[in-house]
Amino acid sequence: MDELELLKKDWKKQEDVLPRLSYKEIYKMILKKSSSIVRWIFIISILEFLLWASLDVVFRLNGMYSNVEKVDMGLFSLIASIASYGILIYFITRFYINYKKIKATDSAKVLMENIIKTRRTVKRYIWVNISFFALAMIATMSYALMFTETFQNSSAKNQLPVWLIIVVTLLVTSVFIGVIALFYRVIYGIFTRRLKRNYGELKKLEI
Amino acid sequence: MNKELEHSFVTNLEQNQNIVHKVCRIYTSDPDSHNDLFQEITIQLWKAYPKFRGDAKFSTWMYRVALNTAITLYRRSKRSIKTADLDTMNFKIKAEEYDDEVEQQLKLMYAAVKQLNDIEKALVFLYLEDKSYKEIADTMGISEVNARVKMNRVKTKLKKILNP
Repeated sequence: MDELELLKKDWKKQEDVLPRLSYKEIYKMILKKSSSIVRWIFIISILEFLLWASLDVVFRLNGMYSNVEKVDMGLFSLIASIASYGILIYFITRFYINYKKIKATDSAKVLMENIIKTRRTVKRYIWVNISFFALAMIATMSYALMFTETFQNSSAKNQLPVWLIIVVTLLVTSVFIGVIALFYRVIYGIFTRRLKRNYGELKKLEI
Repeated sequence: MNKELEHSFVTNLEQNQNIVHKVCRIYTSDPDSHNDLFQEITIQLWKAYPKFRGDAKFSTWMYRVALNTAITLYRRSKRSIKTADLDTMNFKIKAEEYDDEVEQQLKLMYAAVKQLNDIEKALVFLYLEDKSYKEIADTMGISEVNARVKMNRVKTKLKKILNP
């Protein structure tokens, strides 16, 4: 006999030994807060948005832009600021739309897809920011090297060759990106490892 | 209005709580995690309840939310992570109803189910609950053909676990 059939028969009998909660006990449960991964993803995503959005303000307050302005890049930094806020608004809207789509009443696969999509929006936002950051660093560097008088006049007697400056800038930028990427991999991994595994398992069924 | 909604929800869940308990039994291995998962499923059901329309049976609707919570939404607490040992404590087999051989076989079966992955457990659960392949497919979001194929694979896997 099929083992599962045997189990099925016994399964029905299991109902007699299941715990039973009272009306009051269940009522108490609905007053509590969820600790689902969706809630965690929501909190973390909002924190990520806040963190990256506030970086711009922090830089301003710390006077980091004054250096940029010194090298005549005021317009560039203005455009960059406007672009970064535009990007932020775009991603927050996308995030909100995706987040609202997450419903426990969907099929398992659709639910997983919607969670992954929501998370992916935040991940893309982070990547856009990192690329933006790297680009800005490289652009500032090239601008300083090629167009500013300080560099043009002093490079000849300066002991530091241009290629070294470029290599160091690239190195610092890639280490910076690497560290952030690793950090996100860890956070992202903690929350989505099981989800991704189960989603993969469901996808595997598709012939 | 809110009180009314609360009352109808809690009454409905109280009457159908067996479904949630059974999901908890499949996915957890100790009473604490069982209660934890039950709690989270209740919250998810309650959150989705205002959109629940009478056109589906409350119990049918519950299967989806309960399984989705167990597979996807629930964050396991540390204490419930690994129990791959032959743990049958959750299933009380009534010894007097079976002869020794059958009882032993059942114990091993429950232990084998515990070793399946989350998706396979969901398929077995729905199968044990006598759901049609169409319902299984709808709940999981896969095609009916795939549900059948996968179910057969699960059966083979269970056989392998039982007769290595």
